[in-house]
Amino acid sequence: MKEAPNLLIVDDSTAIRKILIRVLNQTNLALGEVLEAGDGKEALNILEGHHVSLVLSDINMPNMDGIELLRALRNAPQWHDLPVVLITTEGGQARVQEAVELGATSYVRKPFSADQLRDKLAALLSK
Amino acid sequence: MMVDSTAKLPLQAAEMADMLFAATRELFTSMLGTEVERLPEPDKEPPDPFDGILSLIGFTGKVIGNGEIICTAATACDLSSRFMMTEFAHVDEQVLDAVGEITNMIVGGFKNLLEAHVGRLQMSIPTVVHGKNISARNLKADVAVSLRCAYSNGEIQLKLGLAASRE
Repeated sequence: MKEAPNLLIVDDSTAIRKILIRVLNQTNLALGEVLEAGDGKEALNILEGHHVSLVLSDINMPNMDGIELLRALRNAPQWHDLPVVLITTEGGQARVQEAVELGATSYVRKPFSADQLRDKLAALLSK
Repeated sequence: MMVDSTAKLPLQAAEMADMLFAATRELFTSMLGTEVERLPEPDKEPPDPFDGILSLIGFTGKVIGNGEIICTAATACDLSSRFMMTEFAHVDEQVLDAVGEITNMIVGGFKNLLEAHVGRLQMSIPTVVHGKNISARNLKADVAVSLRCAYSNGEIQLKLGLAASRE
């Protein structure tokens, strides 16, 4: 039987992490553990000890931001293909292009509606 | 209140106020589940110092300065309750975090619109102050914008203090 996927949410805002967890709980998808990190460095530490199937990450964070995290993941063979969805207020085309070129799987701009995010995550997790 | 002291920025204060309100309306509609309306400019400035919440984020790039949201503690709790879908009766760490994120989205939405005119900008992470007798000043702003917005349960004041980078 296929194991329920673990997810990692990376955001310095506990408010956003809680909102994302609530949206994930409303997807009706079979999920494993939902892990939380406050920045990119913490995310890398968590990934070292857990098998994660999808990362949802903010861009603007202290210590290590989402772009740096994405770069680190794409440069590491074990995480090269790990799906990463960036969720951020950054809506400028240059920033989107940079994220896509670095290998972001998808991109959600804040503010988002719960329905919009739920549909996107459901589509990604059902693959 | 709007101040255009120089022509160093490519947009007038009124245009920036429209952009700030557009970003505010998007946040209220998509994540707070309520409509927001822009109120007429008051005849006199709101009281200063004030009691409540001040949340601010800085900009750097070709335009420097900051964006602010000011509201009462009760409004901060109501906005946070809508945002998190959890009831908050008093200001705590979660409310401060939620108001900071709301500010991040509104000011970030404004920044995305402004970037179309001035190029790429960077934002700081939010700083949220809760207290009594709060006073804040924007020094050396070329453009100052202040607008009041109301929704079903309260009012917020939004401010911008922006200047062209001297570099």
